[in-house]
Amino acid sequence: MSDEVGIALVVDDSRVNRLVLTRQLAGLGLEVLEAENGIEALEQLRATPSAIDVVLLDVMMPELDGYATLEAMKADQAVRHIPVIMVSGVEELDSVVRCIELGATDYLTKPINARILAARINASLAAKRLHDLQAEYLEQQRQLTATIERQKTELSRFLSPQIAHLISSPEGEHLLAGHRRQITVAFCDLRGFTTFAEQADPEELFSVLGEYHRMMGEVIVEHGGTLEHFAGDGVMIFFNDPVLQEDHVERAVRMATAMRDRFQPMAERWKKRGYELGFGVGIAVGYATLGRIGFEGRHDYGAIGNVTILASRLSSQAGPNQILLSQRAVGMIEEIVEVEPVGELQIKGLSRPVSASNVLAVR
Amino acid sequence: MTDADSPVLDASVLDELSASVGGDRAFVTDLIDAYLTDGAQQVEQVEAAVAAGDPEALVRPAHTLKSSSATVGATRLAAMARELEFAGREGRVDDAQPSHAAALRAEWDAATSALRDWVSRGDA
Repeated sequence: MSDEVGIALVVDDSRVNRLVLTRQLAGLGLEVLEAENGIEALEQLRATPSAIDVVLLDVMMPELDGYATLEAMKADQAVRHIPVIMVSGVEELDSVVRCIELGATDYLTKPINARILAARINASLAAKRLHDLQAEYLEQQRQLTATIERQKTELSRFLSPQIAHLISSPEGEHLLAGHRRQITVAFCDLRGFTTFAEQADPEELFSVLGEYHRMMGEVIVEHGGTLEHFAGDGVMIFFNDPVLQEDHVERAVRMATAMRDRFQPMAERWKKRGYELGFGVGIAVGYATLGRIGFEGRHDYGAIGNVTILASRLSSQAGPNQILLSQRAVGMIEEIVEVEPVGELQIKGLSRPVSASNVLAVR
Repeated sequence: MTDADSPVLDASVLDELSASVGGDRAFVTDLIDAYLTDGAQQVEQVEAAVAAGDPEALVRPAHTLKSSSATVGATRLAAMARELEFAGREGRVDDAQPSHAAALRAEWDAATSALRDWVSRGDA
């Protein structure tokens, strides 16, 4: 047996019997505490629940007998896991059965056979050690979970909630490594922003941008969009990744119209202060490669593909309050969207002209 | 009330006890000393309880004496103590009890000398 075998509590009203058990347990390498009856035993257990590894409990005792002591132990959250070996005379076997039903680990009959005692003690201590390891493991896990939760909260301050969640999810590594998927990309920016940035005080600029970003942020979250980045007045959002969204085109269009609606009163207020700002959006659907983009030390979760370029170009072509939808996107939500064609647009970087439509309303 | 044929001291119990502690004879000798000290008190408490006609006061010393006696091999004494314990539990302190207490005292004296003999035999 190893050095740290464990600590046993021997509960028996007879000093002679306690002496015998104590001597036998010491022979097995255990440290032994003694109690004369159940009341004393419970006091010792409750005072140092973590110090005692096994209890040897006499069934018949004055004051509080083994049965009642066991019952009290099992009702006490702090000590219920400690193994209890009932010690009984041969004529008390009926009580032993009751005790086992109540949760006693095992039993011994007097006179106690040293080899049976050793076997019972070893089994009980092994069970106790397993329990302690489990408890330790659960505590570690609890701490780990708390750390991860805290990190998630911190991350969600910097990242889109979907990305923050993705990073700590089981499929996170796989998705971050890069995958292809059909997404809808919405690119939004402000008409007249460059002029405004030149003319306005920095404080004014930040206050207007702050108000705009707050509104955008709320609407993005409402529609479940994944924010890729803010760049001054430009905001790129995509749908259907990392969370799958069957209605990704519809979501993007509903988001854009909600933004346009909420932008109006803001633009009117700014206009009174002398700033002419308009809101434009480009929306396109297509396949992109998504995942971790960047370099060691600074990675973003991003989307790469023609679809992002197209959405960005459509956005720059959009006039104030226009939401330009690529032809393919229109085709996917025809039945719910009311559009006006804006004809064929020459897009920088694309060889062929692209036809697009302005969203008037969504049903 | 007890088997008159059984011996005052069942030496095989002491032998097994001795074996169970790795043949530590000194331990067994000390244990018998502890038994004789505690047992003497318990016999007195039994006598007092019987004299006072107090069954409740009888239970505890009779119970402990029973189980200690069984451990050291004083099996006849253990059986007598057991009878008294049960009488106490059932609230029976009838006319028979004083004679039982007297019989217990006689058995105690016999067990005491038998245990001392066992100790001195081993020492020899």
